[in-house]
Amino acid sequence: MRLNQIKKGGLFRVKDLNCCNDCVSRLMSMGLLPDQEIRLVHEAPLGDPIAVEFNGCHISLRLEDAAHVEVEPI
Amino acid sequence: MSESQAGRRVALIGNPNTGKTSLFNTLTGMRQRVGNYAGVTVEKKTGTWQLPNGQAIELIDLPGTYTLSATSLDERVAVDVITGHGMGSNAPDLLVVVVVDVENLRRNLFLASQASELGVPMVIALNCWDVAEKKGLQIDCKLLEQRFGVPVVPTVAKRKSGTVELAKAVEKAIKTRPTLVRPKWPEPVQKAIKTLHEELVTQRGEALREGELQRLLFDRRSAVCERLKTPAAEHQPIIAAVRDQLYKDGFQPDAAESTLRFRFLNPLLNDVLERQAAMKKRSKSESIDQLLLHKFWGLVVFVGMMFVVFQSVYTWAGPVMGLIEGGVGWMQGIASEALVATPMLQSLVADGIIGGVGAFLVFLPQILVLFFFISLLEASGYMARAAFLMDKLFQWCGLNGKSFVPLLTSFACAIPGIMATRTINDNKARLITILVAPLMSCSARLPVYLLMIGAFIEPRYGPGVAGATLFAMHFIGAFVAAPFAWVLNKTVNKGRKPEPFVMELPHYRVPQIKLVFHRMYESGKEFIIRAGTVIFAMTIIIWALLYFPRPAEIEANVTAQYIGQITEGALSEISGEILLDAPRATELEARIAASYLEQSYMGRFGKFVQPVFAPAGYDWKITVGVLASFPAREIIISTLGIIYSLGGEIDETSDDLRSTLGNARWESGPRLGEPVFNIPVALSIMVFFALCMQCGATLAVIAKELNWWWSLGSFVALTSLAWGAAVAVYQFGMLFA
Repeated sequence: MRLNQIKKGGLFRVKDLNCCNDCVSRLMSMGLLPDQEIRLVHEAPLGDPIAVEFNGCHISLRLEDAAHVEVEPI
Repeated sequence: MSESQAGRRVALIGNPNTGKTSLFNTLTGMRQRVGNYAGVTVEKKTGTWQLPNGQAIELIDLPGTYTLSATSLDERVAVDVITGHGMGSNAPDLLVVVVVDVENLRRNLFLASQASELGVPMVIALNCWDVAEKKGLQIDCKLLEQRFGVPVVPTVAKRKSGTVELAKAVEKAIKTRPTLVRPKWPEPVQKAIKTLHEELVTQRGEALREGELQRLLFDRRSAVCERLKTPAAEHQPIIAAVRDQLYKDGFQPDAAESTLRFRFLNPLLNDVLERQAAMKKRSKSESIDQLLLHKFWGLVVFVGMMFVVFQSVYTWAGPVMGLIEGGVGWMQGIASEALVATPMLQSLVADGIIGGVGAFLVFLPQILVLFFFISLLEASGYMARAAFLMDKLFQWCGLNGKSFVPLLTSFACAIPGIMATRTINDNKARLITILVAPLMSCSARLPVYLLMIGAFIEPRYGPGVAGATLFAMHFIGAFVAAPFAWVLNKTVNKGRKPEPFVMELPHYRVPQIKLVFHRMYESGKEFIIRAGTVIFAMTIIIWALLYFPRPAEIEANVTAQYIGQITEGALSEISGEILLDAPRATELEARIAASYLEQSYMGRFGKFVQPVFAPAGYDWKITVGVLASFPAREIIISTLGIIYSLGGEIDETSDDLRSTLGNARWESGPRLGEPVFNIPVALSIMVFFALCMQCGATLAVIAKELNWWWSLGSFVALTSLAWGAAVAVYQFGMLFA
């Protein structure tokens, strides 16, 4: 399952990241690494971008970039 | 001040939203200088920090950044300054204060750890200590100090607490030069760094520290490359080969740094902080966001908020603008009277200098109010939410959500709008935002719309259509801007990779009013310096073009002709000397002014250029008006006033000007005798003003933010666009007229 597909409410764990994507490498230096817990907190009015929470901070990113992060439900 | 103290520099680095700028302001007070780093448009803020022992430190506020992997300009500047390249000279005496937000200790220390690789002494300021305490976060500073090897000082920038301790720690650190503990890199990374050192430093003589070599190794497009003396064709393969080898050794180079550095940091942070169960508990900010980022209500609040901002810009600034206009008029009156003996000096001072200063000063209130709101929204944390809500609307044409506020600001004035684009860290989006910003209908266009609509649309079609026309004129630029941005994105930005749109939604904070006002003051000052000087200079030039040459016989000829006309009529009061009654004297004066204008360089130039504007329906007088308003749009009102011989004080609501324009006839050409102004001409003029780049100050600001080529390019592009649209509107309109 990918980060762009997750729904609000559930808690997820990062399985794998495609670090060749610029956005993902930025997220990684913010601490988004495998095994990190993550959840969806907001969706913008048109469904894109989304805001996720990990490590206590809220980060917004676009769906096309979120597709590069693989997650699994906890 | 001894010499060793003179060059002492301290740089503040830290993630965005750590209260770094707030700390900077607290430490430096008002002793700040704002400029740009050489060659890049990143704002450079420096100030003087007085240490308790009397030493004066140059404090540098680096742009907020999450990482030193220098892909964006901000990050590049941070690396440059820390390595001593950004400030003009090498800075072996640099000390770094890392401002760390207690709530995101791990992520913040990642940046500190990256900076430590560059070999600079360091002090950590744990900011927002109060928030952490309130949230029950306990941090063991002593343990942190022990493990990381640098002084750790808790601070609350807002309340100035901890600043004395910080100053003492820095004082001491300048002597002891403590450095943050560095990770022990696995064998393959060490090998890669060694190879890079061998190839670049030993063989090619590049001056690179180990930390910079790490940047070359770990970052896909490191900005450090731009500093290498070795040509790209030579250094790129070296770096690529080393990265390949690292991959073969089991470390994906793009992921290696984050993975390894966090792996190094995690055990060091064990037991340092008591972490609350953040994932389960909703924070206050998140509850607020349930409303403000709601799919429907979030938009309602957003639109409402923008409405209030704009309403305030007009209503709050309106009276002050009126006062300024009044004051300018009053000063012009005084100057005119005082200099009545020397007509040229009188005109230069009253029309040129005072008029020129007034022309931009009148916009200052609006800009101050705007910046008050912008800094309020930024400081509270709402700005990131606005960008989040708007992002999708802007994506398709290469912009992003952060373009929204600069573009909205441009509806008041493009200058603060363009200045506000600095918050867009994606250079590609920033470029397009700057180039389309002048298309937003700024308040200087309003007088032109009001004049044309009041004189031609309203009398014929009534207030309903007049209102609709005004509304349409305000948005025509925005409608043109969207495809224009799209084209720019497909052409000039082709091949450029967009920056990732990753944006933190920071916790909401109550803005510090003092900082908000400080920011407002800074922006106002910048506007006066940047825009003011240009508008002022251009106004003087235009004044000269409208004033010279001034052969004395014109006055005599016009007077003689006028008297001749009157004598034919009902004039009998000649007794040796010709005396005119007051209204006739005024009319004569106005006619003389108009004749002078016709003879002036600008008047001649207008006649010469008129054929270009003929397809848009303009006679030479409108052409002169259009040309004269190239430095600043609002000039057209007073120019049309003079040229259609009304003289003196004219504004857009003046009935005289409206009726005179209505009565103006073609003096020559195929439409001889027909009215110059009809509905298509009025519309054509409005469309021209809506789209044209008639603002010298905006051009100057674009040149400052990008360069003169962009400025020139946007001038040519927007002016041609405006001309084309004006011609189209007129020609199409004439089919129905």
